Amino acid sequence: MDFNISDEVKLMQESVRDWFKRNLPLDKMREIDQKGHPMPKEVIEGLAGLGVIMGVIPEERGGQGLNWFKQAAIAEEIGYGDPTAACAAAFMAVMTGWGFTLDRYASEGIRRDFIRPAIAGKKFIGIATTEPGGGSDVAGFKSKAEKSGKNWILNGEKTFISGVEECKLWGGGYWVNVRTGPAPAGAAHKNMTSFFVPIDAPGVEMTECYRDAGRMAISTAGFTMTNVKVPDDYRLGEEGKGFYYTMEGFDNARILIGASSVGITQRVIDEAIPYIKERKTFGIPLAKNEGIQFELSDIYKEMEASRLMYQKTAWMQDIRYDEEGWLERKGKAKTFQPTDIAKWIAMLKWKAPALALHAAERAMLWLGAAGYTDEYPFQMAWRGVMSYVVGAEGGQNIQKIVIGRELLGNEFVPYK
Amino acid sequence: MRIIVCVKQVPDTTEVEIDPKTGTIIREGVPSMLNPFDEFALNEAIRIRGTGQIEIVALTMGPPQAEEALFKCLAIGADRAVLLSDRAFAGSDTWATSLALSRAIEAVGDYCAVFCGHQATDGDTAQVGPEIARQLGIPQMTYVEKVEELDGKSVTCLKETDEGYVRLKAKLPALVACISPSSFVPIIPKMGQILKAKKKTIEKWGADKVAKPGDKFGLDGSPTQVVKTYPPPKKKGGGVKISDPPDAAVRKLVEYLRKEGLVR
Repeated sequence: MDFNISDEVKLMQESVRDWFKRNLPLDKMREIDQKGHPMPKEVIEGLAGLGVIMGVIPEERGGQGLNWFKQAAIAEEIGYGDPTAACAAAFMAVMTGWGFTLDRYASEGIRRDFIRPAIAGKKFIGIATTEPGGGSDVAGFKSKAEKSGKNWILNGEKTFISGVEECKLWGGGYWVNVRTGPAPAGAAHKNMTSFFVPIDAPGVEMTECYRDAGRMAISTAGFTMTNVKVPDDYRLGEEGKGFYYTMEGFDNARILIGASSVGITQRVIDEAIPYIKERKTFGIPLAKNEGIQFELSDIYKEMEASRLMYQKTAWMQDIRYDEEGWLERKGKAKTFQPTDIAKWIAMLKWKAPALALHAAERAMLWLGAAGYTDEYPFQMAWRGVMSYVVGAEGGQNIQKIVIGRELLGNEFVPYK
Repeated sequence: MRIIVCVKQVPDTTEVEIDPKTGTIIREGVPSMLNPFDEFALNEAIRIRGTGQIEIVALTMGPPQAEEALFKCLAIGADRAVLLSDRAFAGSDTWATSLALSRAIEAVGDYCAVFCGHQATDGDTAQVGPEIARQLGIPQMTYVEKVEELDGKSVTCLKETDEGYVRLKAKLPALVACISPSSFVPIIPKMGQILKAKKKTIEKWGADKVAKPGDKFGLDGSPTQVVKTYPPPKKKGGGVKISDPPDAAVRKLVEYLRKEGLVR
């Protein structure tokens, strides 16, 4: 067991940090946060140029051939560089976590027309699962697809989807889950099929953007699908197996959000420490007050635990993909079952964003009025990372159910 | 044809701590970085090479952990990296260091130019570059802000002086010691470049590989010895700290300077 971080990973993190210092310093990030979406195109192009978006896709398919450990270390720095979580949401969780998984099940046509241009920062690809009637509760899904010759006809609505405005502007499309058969009682996850739907396909209409509390640089909206025709080639993997592919996508996105949240916490600490060491009240620096110092120590301790947690989950995922095959699933996971890994990922997704939220809140309180203003990034971070506590990439309670399932057995899952 | 870029790994801090017992720089617990002047020299070598067939070799003398700095050089764009590391080099002053580096440069061979930073941010001697030129018997250009041209026969550089700039031209091979202008925008290694660098091998050479008969390295080869190293005493008191928003701070600063009679 070696806990040293290699020179290679350190340099990757240094590159990302330098890129943010040069291209998205805090002043600029604040400006983007205040102006709101769409995300400036130069941000995606710059990060794509650096090779961090979908870097985990194998070189043969246009990625960098990074492993999950490296990609997660990069995600930590993305969170550090942009503590509003907008870049982490758009380019790590959505484009990289889901993009990598999409690439495994997509046809050559989707890879050529959408995934490769997205790796180059020219297009946006995202995930659309949640519907007005259900998100975590897949039994509520109403969107459906029916076979029509060599095509499929999709109807339904997706909502609370990240990046729809950017996708419309830059081109691209979404991984969409729909029913291709009725939901059997107690097994609502069955008969779900995944498709790729280009955002400009006839019949796709974007709905109005939501006015989110945070991560303002990336849009949240929805879209309706009215008789949207896609070729069978746009079906992802096997018919009726969409739920399983989706769980894999969630796993990958959650690793990156967990790692990004560690970066956000580190940034909060790094921004707060100089102030609390310098600012004096009642004749002593703020940092000399145990009420502040002990909280800082506690947050630091939890952050290091979260960092080890994301490193372990990424390491487990690397072993999984080594055994399954990185390009297509040809082998079987042996060392860790996907559900074993899901347990760790659930712990990470539960812990890391909640900690970043807590850290940002405490930092605002340590600094007092100054911390509450936009002079410091705490409120931007607090509003942004709240998104991942509320439920983006899976609600907190869902993570608890996943962990409970692994500890107690499937028969104790409270809802099916 | 080759450009050999001499680099050094230095502590990543502006406040170097000295061990009072040994008089040496405390490196434990201090993160390291590539000396910024050397980084500029490497960037200039890469820029001036363009698409030409010039091989860039990064060379350093240091402890095994200096590999980290060489790894970064490979990621930035160096083709090869050589680490000169041996206990025999321990305690070298600038002269012994320049001798070891010159011998390594000769061992790499076929070089048209040697690029280096004009000084390292830890020792701040600015002696090693010129001494390498002396050891190799080649012309040197110091305080170089820009390498303007490098053809098969000569190198043309812009040198910064107190009065302005001087354009210098030297026959090859020559040594170019670079400063780091404020306009310098370093190459940020991309993920793909870092992965490619990982596939390269950092060559590790000991004293045996480079020494010529009669060479003395380390303490034995050092005509000077550091008797004592200490940081300058910290100034106590003095100065006025203004920590207001920019507009108010500028007003207060001007007011202060006028009051002190420093401006009218």
